[in-house]
Amino acid sequence: MKPINTKKGQQEMIGFVLIVVLVMVAIMIFIVISVRKTPEDRQSLEIENMLSVMMKQTTGCAIVFEPEYDNVEDLIKSCYLDKKCENLNKPSCDYLNETLSGIIGDLGQTDNSIGAYELSVLNEAEGSAAIRLAYIRVGNCTTSTIGAQKTIVSDSGNLIVRLRVCKSV
Amino acid sequence: MKIQQMAFMIIAIFIFFALVAVFFLSWQTRSLKSDFGAMQKEQAISSLAVISDMPELNCDSKTSLCLDEDKIRVMASNYSQRYSEFWPVASVKVYKVYPKEQFEQIVVFDSGQTNVEEYSTFVSICKKLKGSGYVYDSCNIGKLSVGVKLPEVVK
Repeated sequence: MKPINTKKGQQEMIGFVLIVVLVMVAIMIFIVISVRKTPEDRQSLEIENMLSVMMKQTTGCAIVFEPEYDNVEDLIKSCYLDKKCENLNKPSCDYLNETLSGIIGDLGQTDNSIGAYELSVLNEAEGSAAIRLAYIRVGNCTTSTIGAQKTIVSDSGNLIVRLRVCKSV
Repeated sequence: MKIQQMAFMIIAIFIFFALVAVFFLSWQTRSLKSDFGAMQKEQAISSLAVISDMPELNCDSKTSLCLDEDKIRVMASNYSQRYSEFWPVASVKVYKVYPKEQFEQIVVFDSGQTNVEEYSTFVSICKKLKGSGYVYDSCNIGKLSVGVKLPEVVK
């Protein structure tokens, strides 16, 4: 009688182990799929349009003469070349930061669903680390973000403008 | 007795996996619905570019998402009613959002229809200005909002 009971117990144990393994595999598959499906930084047409329109905004900075004002895209190039806003007697990089903060602050207020945003202007030269020309961050993002980026071609190296927006709803 | 135990076990495992499957399917459906909503919104925003690129409104045939302020003011001054059959939408509104001090709403076209869903996207609003003997473009940021009529719900 004894050997039969031991065999029965062994069979039950193997059965339980099999069930546990099956459940674990199912949970692992579920976790892998859910992690893959959650977009960290999804590209959005809405943000792409926002960024593109921001680049066309006329600023108050005239590098050469008034009224030859730079738009934001030109102001980024001027900042990269370390130029000065002659009419304001101010470095273009300082004025770029001021302008971008103003724009992003006002645009953020037009959409209640925007919880936080981050805008960065980088110079990505080949073979060297990216240099940050401007960086604005407002609020903290806890959920996934949507974003867009635009490349501005300059004399030496590309300038990347990256906008990430955190939607609270 | 042994067969009964085995049958119970099989049923328990089956119920467990069925529950897991139901949970997984409901999660997938929710994700699918959210993706569908996002895609619908992206499609609506793409359609807005068609309106903003109309020669009656755009500032430059080469630039997309750019409205001519003078043109939209002319269209807003009751002129757009002549286009009432031409507009494929229920309403066209433009908001000047930056600089904030210049906030303004310009109603280009409004058919007066109710039960309308509005879609909007950012656009440039440009106008020609003259200063120191030069003519230059001054562009600000605005929002183009288009109302799409929703189908009536039959009670």
